[in-house]
Amino acid sequence: MPDVGHEFDDRLGRAFDRRLVARLWHAARPHRSLIAASLVLFPLISAVELAQPYLMKVAIDNHILKADWLGLTWIVALYVGVLVLLYALHWLEAYLMNLTGQRVIHDLRAALFGHLLRLEAAFFDRNPVGRLMTRVLGDVEAVSEAFTSGLFAVVADVITLAGVVGVMLWLDWHLALVTFSIVPALFVAAGYFRLRARDAYRRVRQRLAHLNGLLQESLQGMAVIQLFARERYEAERFREANGAYHRAVFASTSYDFFLYASVEALGSIAVAVLLWYGGGEIIAGAVSFGVLVAFIQYTNRFFLPIRDLGAKYTVMQSAMASSERIFGLLDRPPAIVSVGRATARDQESRAPAVELQGVWFAYEDEAWVLRDCSLSVAAGERVALVGPTGEGKSTIARLLNRSYEAQRGRVLVDGVDVREWNVARLRRHVGIIFQDTLLFTGTVEENLKLGVDGAVAPADLARAVETARAAAFVAALPRGLDEALGERGANVSHGQRQLLAIARALVYNPAVLVLDEATSSVDAESEALIREAMSGLLAGRTSLTIAHRLSTVQHADRILVLHRGRIHEEGSHAALLRRGGLYARLTELQAGPSAA
Amino acid sequence: MSRASSDVAAVRSLVGFGAVSLVGTVFAFAGALAAMLAADPWLTLWALAPYPALVLLAKRFNAVVNQRAQATQEQLGVLSARVQEYIAGMSVVRAYTLEPRASADFASANREYLRRSLALARTQASFAPLMGLIAGVGTLVLLWAGGKAVVDGRLSLGALVAFNGYLAYLTWPTIALGWTLSIVRRGLTSMARIQEITGARSDEREEQIGLGTTMPLSTSMRPLWEPAPGTVFVGERDVTRLPRGALRVMLGYVPQEGFLFSRSIAENITLGREDADAARVREAAVAAGVADETDGFLAGFDTVVGERGLTLSGGQRQRVALARALVGRPPILVLDDPFASVDASKEEEIAGNLRALAQGRTVLLMTHRLRAAQLADRVVVLDAGRVVEQGRHEDLVGARGLYARLWRVQQLEEEIARA
Ligand SMILES: Nc1ncnc2c1ncn2[C@@H]1O[C@H](COP(=O)(O)OP(=O)(O)O)[C@@H](O)[C@H]1O
Ligand SMILES: [Mg+2]
Repeated sequence: MPDVGHEFDDRLGRAFDRRLVARLWHAARPHRSLIAASLVLFPLISAVELAQPYLMKVAIDNHILKADWLGLTWIVALYVGVLVLLYALHWLEAYLMNLTGQRVIHDLRAALFGHLLRLEAAFFDRNPVGRLMTRVLGDVEAVSEAFTSGLFAVVADVITLAGVVGVMLWLDWHLALVTFSIVPALFVAAGYFRLRARDAYRRVRQRLAHLNGLLQESLQGMAVIQLFARERYEAERFREANGAYHRAVFASTSYDFFLYASVEALGSIAVAVLLWYGGGEIIAGAVSFGVLVAFIQYTNRFFLPIRDLGAKYTVMQSAMASSERIFGLLDRPPAIVSVGRATARDQESRAPAVELQGVWFAYEDEAWVLRDCSLSVAAGERVALVGPTGEGKSTIARLLNRSYEAQRGRVLVDGVDVREWNVARLRRHVGIIFQDTLLFTGTVEENLKLGVDGAVAPADLARAVETARAAAFVAALPRGLDEALGERGANVSHGQRQLLAIARALVYNPAVLVLDEATSSVDAESEALIREAMSGLLAGRTSLTIAHRLSTVQHADRILVLHRGRIHEEGSHAALLRRGGLYARLTELQAGPSAA
Repeated sequence: MSRASSDVAAVRSLVGFGAVSLVGTVFAFAGALAAMLAADPWLTLWALAPYPALVLLAKRFNAVVNQRAQATQEQLGVLSARVQEYIAGMSVVRAYTLEPRASADFASANREYLRRSLALARTQASFAPLMGLIAGVGTLVLLWAGGKAVVDGRLSLGALVAFNGYLAYLTWPTIALGWTLSIVRRGLTSMARIQEITGARSDEREEQIGLGTTMPLSTSMRPLWEPAPGTVFVGERDVTRLPRGALRVMLGYVPQEGFLFSRSIAENITLGREDADAARVREAAVAAGVADETDGFLAGFDTVVGERGLTLSGGQRQRVALARALVGRPPILVLDDPFASVDASKEEEIAGNLRALAQGRTVLLMTHRLRAAQLADRVVVLDAGRVVEQGRHEDLVGARGLYARLWRVQQLEEEIARA
């Protein structure tokens, strides 16, 4: 199954992709009134901007040349009005574009995170946290740029260009055509730039990816490099890749500068042509002085958007690359979907609380972890599951709450196939408690009420804390239940964390409890507390305890020994010991080297 | 990693665009100003009158923008901490059906981030049009005061128009100045951080040294971790006195984690050694027991492995790393737990290879699997950093010490695995 694109993805280079722009438009649809407002603003702003040179023309021709200072004052007053209006409009424009972009990516972030929550566990095995964080937080920023300085800016530029052309033709079409004689050269320059820049930018991306990959690898393998005294060789490799990147950046920058410089030069030529031709016309009396001045200013506006094309090109290119990755992730369907059908326990049912029937399961391809595994736990029964590490005990727990799905065979809860359960209800019903579980940022109380919908009575909470033997240490916290737990519960000890996990399980109160016991050892005192807490938790409940410490399973109703992907032995502690099989050996093994 | 690339990028923009635009800015500004003063000093004063006020205004804006940008950045930190927490704890999220809570939690942080981003955008939105305003006010003053001068006959119309042109050259530099200064500031900060790294001496002592079997070995591999003089000897010579290269010629070392680079198998074996030709590579690969498998790959020894290539199994990686150590034909071979990440069947195979490798060589094998230790002429047992027992395998098993107890446990484990 493909993952959602690598960090150093280098297959992209396009600045405009119809399909992706259509998707972006779809994502922006809820905010279309904002977009419409921006689109209304653009011509307004263009009009007000284009009024400035015109006012200049009127000032010169009608007032300065006619020595009408009072009239000039009026024009100046009008100019003040135009300036203020323009400032306000520009502010509104910039804010609206930001508002649109930010709202769109706010929604995209929410959609991405929501989608991640729906994806199955196997997806997270293949995609490291860092990469997913980049999707949710990094890539969307590039998309917002498309709104603030990419797509929209291009639309605004086109409108301004059209306005400039119109006003120039209207003022003096002769002079306008003379000015536009430079346009074919402009097209040639822009076309050449587009052709070259695209490849140049792609090379920059590729070489940067290569450089990053090399850097990352060298850092990871630094011990090996130093061990074999290969520092100089590695440095040489890096220098080469760095040089290649440097050359690519230089090439792409030189295209940017080519465009910039040639547009500037063409602009100057246009002004020169204008002065030469216009000067003659003024002398001939065909053109007024004011018109020529206004023309020079309009010509500058005409060239500005074309000159800045390079910057917009880059913005759009990275926006396209990012949206490709974002939509790639959003398009990846969850492999495990809830049927949404509610399942209630049939009161008459005699079906086991949980049952595995001939289950085959592999995380990858044919590397079977479970092979034709069958087991069942009757309602009210306390069963322990033991076996050497890596045999698949935790895997069985993950199958029971449908984090993963069996390739063959059936997993039944209350006699109903888990695939027919509503997933949320299933997970409320079969609670998997990781005893060494992580705590989330929040207070102790919030962590205890995790996943419980609705209110929890304070008395119930207190009882759970009491039963879990956590009351003493919680009371000792400065703020008790309201104590904030640091990042990942950094401020509580290992043993205390296990007690909190047990209290949390008591509050969650699932019908079937699957307990995946912690492997890590704690001090003897905590060990005793945890054991008491556990018996409080298991009392009167259907449970499947995955035990790493065999000492904790001796009181189970039944012990299952998992080996080679199936249940190898089962029975009570005493019976299994008498049998002298795997369980007996495991017990001896756990007694440790000292007992030999 | 991120520090490296983003700092370098900042410095790049400092020496690239920052420098160019600083020089350009100064020239444009000075040139335009000189031309204006030459044409008409009074009018110049008039035209420049609004500038100081606008520069001050820009500075004020800048302060607000910085403050809000920081607030936005902080909230991004909060948001990313949430995302990280929930993605990393996804198994708990699933087990406790925390999806609604996670969504709500994320939504509130996301909303706050949006709020702060928009607050920032509001100030920034007023900052950008300032450029237009500065240009406009200059033109305005010029038009009014200069227009009067033309009307009064003190100034020619052409001079007024030229003045307007020069003014345009002043606007952009004024704005660019602040912007350039901020690039320079960012670049210099990054430069300082880069210097901090490159300035760090490469012989820094590693703070934490792994205890147990790995330590004495690594200690001999100067300069990764340097032992005290007079404590570690190779062939009667103090390792701290040996020239750096010499030790590595004598010692072939296979680390516990056989790290492979995303390169061809041959390159992984030679790591760029000039004296290792194809024949030597093959010889090493044969000795390490990877030659046959490698020949089976599509491109043979040129097959690229690792993240961007063929994925090798733990045992295969281990053996490529072994070939890497052998290609230099070292008289002493040090193996750090070659059985750490291989299963029982491969263990037999590697043990078989070891016997062949030991021909005419000194081999130091660090391992927690005692079955492999059976091959050794002498076994040294370490406990908590000290040698507690020494001798032949058979004698140690009979001695009923730590080694004998470990032996019993591992036999039990084997029995369980075989059951
Ligand atoms: N997410 C995963 N992806 C791939 N393999 C896995 C994953 N989780 C566990 N495994 C492998 O599946 C086997 C069983 O693992 P597990 O159920 O955790 O064992 P146990 O809980 O009995 O120690 C092990 O070989 C382990 O390496
Ligand atoms: Mg486990």
